[in-house]
Amino acid sequence: MTRAWRMAALAALIVVLVIALTPYVWLFMTSIKSRLDALADTPVWLFTPTFEHYPKVFLDKGYLPMVFNSLVVAGTVTVLSLAVGVPGAYVFARHRFPGKEDLFFFFLTTRMAPPISVVVPMFLLFSYVGLVDTRTSVILAHSTFNLSLVVWMMRGFFEDIPREIDEAAQMDGHTKAGMFFRVLLPIAAPGIAATAVLCFILSWNEFLYALILVAFESRTLTVGIPGLVTPHGTLWGQVAAVAIVATLPIIVFTFLVQKHLVRGLTFGAVKG
Amino acid sequence: MTVAFRKVSKVFADGTLALDGLDLEFEAGEFVVLLGPSGSGKTTACRLLAGLEQASAGRIEVDGQDITDLPPRERKMSMVFQNYALYAHKSVYDNIAYPLKVRRWPRAEIESKVKEVAGLLDIERLLKRRPRQLSGGEAQRVAVARALVWQPDICLMDEPLSNLDAILRLQTRTELKRLHEELGTTFVFVTHDQEEAMTLGTRIAVLKDGRLVQFDTAHEIYHRPASRFVAEFIGRPAMNTIDGGIVDGIFRAGDVALPTPGRDPGPVVLGIRPEHIVLHDSPREDTLDFRLDVPEIVEPDMLLFAACGEVALVVRAKADRPELRRGDALHLEFPADRLCFFDPDTGARRP
Repeated sequence: MTRAWRMAALAALIVVLVIALTPYVWLFMTSIKSRLDALADTPVWLFTPTFEHYPKVFLDKGYLPMVFNSLVVAGTVTVLSLAVGVPGAYVFARHRFPGKEDLFFFFLTTRMAPPISVVVPMFLLFSYVGLVDTRTSVILAHSTFNLSLVVWMMRGFFEDIPREIDEAAQMDGHTKAGMFFRVLLPIAAPGIAATAVLCFILSWNEFLYALILVAFESRTLTVGIPGLVTPHGTLWGQVAAVAIVATLPIIVFTFLVQKHLVRGLTFGAVKG
Repeated sequence: MTVAFRKVSKVFADGTLALDGLDLEFEAGEFVVLLGPSGSGKTTACRLLAGLEQASAGRIEVDGQDITDLPPRERKMSMVFQNYALYAHKSVYDNIAYPLKVRRWPRAEIESKVKEVAGLLDIERLLKRRPRQLSGGEAQRVAVARALVWQPDICLMDEPLSNLDAILRLQTRTELKRLHEELGTTFVFVTHDQEEAMTLGTRIAVLKDGRLVQFDTAHEIYHRPASRFVAEFIGRPAMNTIDGGIVDGIFRAGDVALPTPGRDPGPVVLGIRPEHIVLHDSPREDTLDFRLDVPEIVEPDMLLFAACGEVALVVRAKADRPELRRGDALHLEFPADRLCFFDPDTGARRP
């Protein structure tokens, strides 16, 4: 690459970074602004920071348990979807059976209907079995759409692993289960990591199902934020504080699996 | 130990008949080569023996014991794959040690075994590397080491040399031959390359359309092919085959007339290898005149593509006649003891 191109690429990168990061900078600033500064009609860049919003919303208003709820829900959804979806994806990648591609497509169709059309029947179902306003209901609801994501992504990763690896593992003395758990899963780890991140983020950010299915104790962070829109005005400082805290686990989680994520997202994921 | 395929058939889900009642039996210590064109069922036979595919019919036996339905891990066989199939996330050492680890060998023994087999294949210096840091030849050595480290009864190889370049293929071939002689392990080797088959195999099983055509030593297969198919499949260039008929003890095909005393009359296919035809400088009583079409020098030999009317054939002779030009007359002798006769309908060789 020539020097000019390099500079152009760098400039483009900076533009993208600015566009991507400005909201976060703004969010963080809002979370440490006083109410007056936050609502100033000319944006204030220099101000005396205040950290009153964080203890106020998390301790006084009891938003801390919501962090816990969100973590439990997103974590369980991720584990559950992977536990069911990864073996399923393997079968789609390796085995031939009648109606395979139709069934595979069916997984995709579960995501075609707009969520709002499914959420009312889902609410009724959960209320029949007495699960409304429990974390379990949100976990199950989120798993329905994450499962299709896992199956679709992981099939591509398994198809990237040569079939001979399965066979070599069996010749090396593994049972079929041993082959899957001891040989294939470690090889598919980058793909699993990438899929896990997406699962986690999708569930963590999800608003509609969580809003309809839970009302009190089991509220997740996303559902909690609208509670700060009060008859006396929106508490922007507290909203921003919650949003900042809501962003942190995603950042931490993504950095943890970053090594795998880059590889995972660049090969395999587009196949299917 | 005796390994036997008994009327083994394999039909794939899409209806392809890959093996059609294969009968094959060989002994421990042999280097058996399964040779055939693509679609002949050679790879399927190998995979059935490994247990990676289930037979549709028939039995596979080892020492009279039915192993047809045993999973691969209970068969005491290992396999080398065409694309090496090394575990990319493990070091070379761990790749080789893996079959021992899975079989729960004691750690100390694993280490000495891996060292030993690495020495045998001259790959000690690679043990710490990852598979992607290996060249094709190195990767295949590692795969062979992994297959031999636990001393299986049979080592199966499915076209293991096909991904290597020409020079490396020759080296590795010699290496495999040496390994077989040193270890005495039974090898079953699948290939479509007749040269590999002829040099490696103690016996060669020639397959066609899922059936065994001939199972014999390279020498027998070359000199006494069981059928026209084998004759035309083995040898470069292949055996000349001429469709014709015998009348009154003379084989006739177009303008060619060759005395074949004592042969039954009727339609027949005559076969002779290019190098068995003798090229003479001047016509003799026992020579036939052919017209040279194209001379090809393949030092130290030359291939003479010649024709006599409708009949075309290839002669392999020493490259000591540079004066030969297109259109020259060739005086060819067909020694009677070199001639093969095949049935024109079934292709089977007539004694």
